[in-house]
Amino acid sequence: MERRLRISGVLLILGLIVEALTLCWNTAASFMSFMIFGGILLAGGVLSYLYFLVSE
Amino acid sequence: MQAVSPQSLVFILIGTSIAVICLFLIRPSITVSREGKILAFVAFFILPVLATGIGASEHFERSKQTQFCLSCHIMEPWGKSLHVDDLSHIPAAHFQNHRVPADEACYTCHTDYAMYGTLRTKLEGLHHVYVNYLGKPMDPIHLYHPYSNRECLHCHLGARSFESNALHVAIMPDLKGDKVSCISSGCHDAIHNVDTLGQEKFWKPTD
Repeated sequence: MERRLRISGVLLILGLIVEALTLCWNTAASFMSFMIFGGILLAGGVLSYLYFLVSE
Repeated sequence: MQAVSPQSLVFILIGTSIAVICLFLIRPSITVSREGKILAFVAFFILPVLATGIGASEHFERSKQTQFCLSCHIMEPWGKSLHVDDLSHIPAAHFQNHRVPADEACYTCHTDYAMYGTLRTKLEGLHHVYVNYLGKPMDPIHLYHPYSNRECLHCHLGARSFESNALHVAIMPDLKGDKVSCISSGCHDAIHNVDTLGQEKFWKPTD
């Protein structure tokens, strides 16, 4: 249970860091990084947290 | 009181979210209590989703900027054409004389001033970015649809300088109906002539 929460937390932190970094630039590449890398990491973190909740 | 900018708000949300998530990573046992579960839900779900939503909105808003459009290498000649030292070049004349906001020059002329035009323009912008990074860009680059007079008339219609021109008045119905194009009917046809940029002189703004 704790392991799942940790995985979710790490994914969320990585996703949030990516999102924060992309906001430091205004380029198409930073926009794509926000959507793809930030989005995938965030979605992974949130979904694994929700899975943790329902399977608890 | 000064309002917090969306970017600062996202940074605050991200910072708070990371700090609380770190707390749970160090002491996962906090989630045993009811209060801990609520706090975990806020940190693992509400704050990240909120930060992503506001961050995405901020990115979309900033994508209107000229700097954003010209950040793709492929758009470099089009950006350069805004600095041509010849005011018969329509984009250059508009950009250099601030007839359009210089920091949103591309968006102002290439947005769609019809219903849901902003949404359509954003979707086309997403398509541009997708094609540039993951697809195959057009060669040569061209617009998806013929340029509509509606975009010109959005600003020029009703302007004294435009309506005092007898020719404009005479062909107004055709202009409004897109039967005669402002830019490709031989009247204002010096647009982004990227093929002849090598022969042009360029205007340098004074700092």
